Formats: sequence, structure tokens, C-alpha cells
Amino acid sequence: MYGWIGRYLRIDLGSGTVRKEVITPDLARKYLGGRGLGTHFMMTEVDPKVDPLSPQNKLIFAAGPLCGTNAPSASHYDVISKGPLNGTIAASSSGGLFGPMLKYAGYDMIILEGKSAKPVYLWICDDVVEIRDAAEIWGKTVPETTEAIRSATDEEASVACIGPAGERLVLFANVMNECGRAAGRSGVGAVMGSKNLKAIAVRGTGAVRVPDPKAFREAVVKASAKIKANSVGGKGLKNYGTDVLVNILNELGGLPTRNFLDGYFPTADKVGGESLAKQLLIRPRGCYACIISCGRATKVTNPKFAGQGEGPEYETAWAFGPDCGIDDLDAVTKANYICNDYGMDTITMGSSVACAMNLFENGVITTKDTDGIALNFGDAEAMVELVRKTAEGEGFGKKLALGSYRMAESYGHPEYSMTCKKQEMPAYDPRAIQGIGLNFATGNRGGCHVRGYTISPEVLGQPVKLDPRVTEGKPALDITFQDLTAALDSSGMCLFTTFGLGAEDLAELLSAATGLNITTEEFMKIGARIWNLERLFNLKAGLSALDDKLPERLTKEPILTGPSKGLVNRIDEMLPEYYKLRGWDSAGIPTKNTLADLGL
Amino acid sequence: MKITVRAFADYREFIGKEMELIVPEEKTIGELLAELGDRYPKLRSEMFTPTGELKDFINIFINGRNIAFLKDMATPLTDGDIIALFPPVAGG
Repeated sequence: MYGWIGRYLRIDLGSGTVRKEVITPDLARKYLGGRGLGTHFMMTEVDPKVDPLSPQNKLIFAAGPLCGTNAPSASHYDVISKGPLNGTIAASSSGGLFGPMLKYAGYDMIILEGKSAKPVYLWICDDVVEIRDAAEIWGKTVPETTEAIRSATDEEASVACIGPAGERLVLFANVMNECGRAAGRSGVGAVMGSKNLKAIAVRGTGAVRVPDPKAFREAVVKASAKIKANSVGGKGLKNYGTDVLVNILNELGGLPTRNFLDGYFPTADKVGGESLAKQLLIRPRGCYACIISCGRATKVTNPKFAGQGEGPEYETAWAFGPDCGIDDLDAVTKANYICNDYGMDTITMGSSVACAMNLFENGVITTKDTDGIALNFGDAEAMVELVRKTAEGEGFGKKLALGSYRMAESYGHPEYSMTCKKQEMPAYDPRAIQGIGLNFATGNRGGCHVRGYTISPEVLGQPVKLDPRVTEGKPALDITFQDLTAALDSSGMCLFTTFGLGAEDLAELLSAATGLNITTEEFMKIGARIWNLERLFNLKAGLSALDDKLPERLTKEPILTGPSKGLVNRIDEMLPEYYKLRGWDSAGIPTKNTLADLGL
Repeated sequence: MKITVRAFADYREFIGKEMELIVPEEKTIGELLAELGDRYPKLRSEMFTPTGELKDFINIFINGRNIAFLKDMATPLTDGDIIALFPPVAGG
């Protein structure tokens, strides 16, 4: 096989058995890799009703066929499991070097089963696969773990690990690699912690083969030129990072503020990419084969929030900033550093703090619940302290470790949780931007922007400008973006390449890497197949059409101030058409014809 | 009438962060941008092609609405309008 290695590892952590198994060409073509292939194995090998933190759940690390080639930004792998935050199929993507290194070692994927009796880590060096004792690194932060494992194995190794949050089963614990890159959402780090697996270190010396290196190089040059000609390859992301989005969302009136009570934050600029570049940026950082370099190496010198590390990204700056009514960039960045070091998803963490502030200001909780801390919107020190408490597993932090839904539900008010399917929505207000609201509601892992980034046409005007206030045409738009992203995630490419590359370009790259003739239509159909497979997993897990909804706040309480004042989301105008276009019945269940057409 | 112009990302290097302009009535956004272009040639070359077309992926908001959904360059300005100029940006 070309592109794919054709081989994966199956490791039973309970018995310590390591097996090397083969991926058949038919299966590879049907699901590509990454998210698609991982979901296939979850669906065929795991009961969707399984307790996510039990040994019966599986944890899959999977790269796609383009990952590790020199295609632009071909660095991504996915961590797939049943997520503990909300019980949906979870697939969290990350860049860095881990995915390419896994393939250079000779594997497309690792399936982890069972539970180790004691803390362990995996050391993979080409054909050598060892399960090693992790007693001495259990409890260590992500940078400490990475350094210790590299010292014990190979300084060139890529290390994907959990921090103390994953060990403590924080429901939104993530998996970090290269210290600053995260498979961030849905709590895949807690699944890793539940298996007593601290880290996977991998060093590979092989390569990814392509059938015709010259033809592949030509396809890569063509794709790279397209990305460079687009905004994503221009100065914006490199100079300002993803945080450059703060101002455009705020000027639109679509920047969720104070736990989505509002959609406009007057001092948002203080936490935007322009301020970040001026005040904290050391240098941009890129992943393997990246021509974009959106990552931020930063340093905070303010003694109150001093630190150094990566971030914040846009979603993080929003979650700890405007969503908490905070405009202190130093505090926002400090909260980000804590999450990186302890291994926690910044979106769910920030949104959970915002939810707690909302509960506190409305008198649902008091200082008796919060270890004596007054939780008012805008209090940067309180926000950072809550993040620290969650990371350390202290007091009220244990409540926050459940995510906003379970935390608010425990006080009798889940409606304060700004979640879809119990996962926190990211930094786009669906009242101001209709299509993204439908995407959040129908997202297979709950509230999430990287399942169908309709912000691109609805706000950023790419590839075309579509009116964010209009619902007409949005169901079809959402489906196109969702399917494209599912196929892309399964290919091994960074999502940001889609600002410059369409399905046709990606299919061309895939064809050049694999030697198969993958047409644009086939590429999109693979995406639809993966989307429907994820839907089937969720339906079998017990979810239903009742879960395809937005928080009532977004459909009944208009935005209070700013350019989008008075607007609500009108999901009822979109959801029935979405089901119909998906080939699902009115209960949101894929019809037999739809499944047959997709080969499911 | 008074118009506020806000610039973001690289555009701040050309015209600063924000300015207030007093302009005569019955002016369109296109006319205002042409005048700004006269004052700040770098801004003009970044925003427009040599033949005067707005370049791809540039967004211009008036009070939070993209002019693409108003009357584009013919959109009339009114007193108190806030104009936001964005170079091509991406992220997520």
C-alpha cells in the first residue's frame, strides 16, 4: 500500500499483549484513516453503551494516509474513543509530530484495550514495542512527563501524554503531544487515565511511500501554492495566530460574552491577536510540514500570572476572556498554560468557569459552594484560581472537573450550561450566525466548531460570502462542511488547509499519495459515510433527535447589545431540512436507503 | 456626519487602530474608502486591485453587517456609522 503503512498495533493493557495486525486495502479506502478508521473499529468492537471510563472502552490513536508525507500541514492524527464528557463518539485531532512519527515507526494506528494494573507508558521504536513502568512519572505535568520520557528513551521521540488531570479523570482531560499540541476535546485524556496509560512515546526511522514521488511532489507544490495564495497562508495567521478572530467576531456581534448572556464584548480587543502579538508573542510555531505556523510561543512576565508556553488560540482566549467577562490577556494566557501543563481542554474549562460565574451572580451558588471565592464575571484572579483548583483536584475544582453540564445540573440548573449534547460550544454565537448553530446542534461529539466550520463563509467570506443571519441554504452548507471535514480528518491533514483547498484538491493529493483514483465525489462520500457511522454509534449509545438542539438561551433570549442585538437562533427553520438532506427520517435516524448507499 | 473607522490586523500598521471622520452627507462606503485610499496609498494597494476591485477575502462591515449583504460599495453611510476593515483572516 502507498500512503498507508498497512499495519497497526493492538495492545491489551490488561494482559500486556502486543499484536501487529494488517489493515486491508478495502477498509483503508472505505474510511481512509484517523477519525474514519478509528470510528469503524469503535463501532465494530465496542458496545456504544459502554461506560467510557471502563476497561471495556477502547482508545485509538490513528493517522491518515497523507499524514507524514510532505503534503502541506499533513501532521494530524486523531484520538478516537467513547468520550466521557458526554458519552458520544469522540475523535479529537492534533498536529505536532506524533502522527508522522507513528507512521515512520511503521504503524497507521494503535488500538488500546483493557486497563493496566499499574501506571505504564508505551515506548515504540520501529518494530520494538514496550510497555514500561510509569510509576515515577505518574503525577507529573505534561512538560515534566515529556522531558522524563525523552530522557529515558530518545530525545527525538514524540511524546503524547496525559497530565495530572487525565490521571484524575477530569471529564475534559486531553491528550497533549509536543507539550503544546492537544487532542483537546471530549475527554479522551480521561479515557487514557482510566487505562493507567500515562504516555505513548514513538520514534520512527522509516518513511511513507508514495507510488510516484515526482507526481506527488507536483501535487504538493500545487496545493501549497493554493494555500499560500489564500488568507490562511498569508500574514494574518502567522502574525496574529488564530486569536486574530476575536475582533472580527466581536465587530459582527457574534462573540459570546459572559456565558452567552450577550454577543458583544466592548473591550474584546485587549485579548485579540493584535494585542497578543504586541504583548506576549515570542515567535510563531508550526507543526510538522506546516506552511501556516498558527501556533504561538508566548511568555507572560506580569508576576501575578507569569509563565511561558504555547497559546492562547482563539477559542482559548475567548473561553477564559469574553466568555468570563475578562479582558486581561495575561490571566487568559496563564489559564491556558495551566491547562496545557495539566492536560485539560481550554474550551470546556473556560466555559465551565463562565457557567459557574453565571450561577454565582444569579444566586444559585454562593461562596459556601466555591471555597469562599466570589465568582463575578470579569474577575481574572478568580478565574485563574478555579482553573488551578480544577487542575489540582481541589474543592470546587472537583465540581468543575465534571464540565459545565454536570456541574450546573448538580445545583438543579443545567440550563445554565452552554452545551450541545453536554459538550461546551466554542466561540461563535449562534444567535448572530445561524449556520454554525445548526452545526453545533447536530455535531456528533456535541458543541464543536471543527466538525463543520461554516464560520468560513458566514463570517470570514471564504470561499464565498454568505449572510450569517439567513437560515436558507444553511442545512446544505452544514452538510457539505461536515462531510468535507470528516474526510479531511481521516486523511491526516490540518483543518486549516481547507481555507485554501477544496474537496477536489484534497482528493487529488490523496490520489497522488495512495495511487488510487479517489474522485472528489468519492472523497465527499467517504465523509458522509463517516458522519453517518458516528451518528449510528451515538444512536446506539442512547442519543436521539432530542439531543440535536441548542441551549434555550440561544433560541429564546436575544443578544442584548452590539451589532446583533435582538437576534436569536432559528434552528427550527433548519433542522427538518437538515434531516431530509442527510437522508434521515424525521426522528433523525438514517434510512435504510441512505445506509445502503453509503455502504454501511 | 461623524463616521468611525476601525482597522484590524495588518491594516492597523497603515491607518492606526481607530479614527473618527467628519464627512459630508450622502456619501457611500465606496467613496469614503476611495478618499481613505488617497490618504493611505498602502491601505489602497492592500485592499484593492489596480483596477479598483476589492480583493478576495477582505471584509468590510458597517455596524456589524458585511457590505456584501447591504449595497456593497454603493451602501450609503449615515451619521454615527462604525466601519470595520478586515484583511483576509482565518483561524478557528
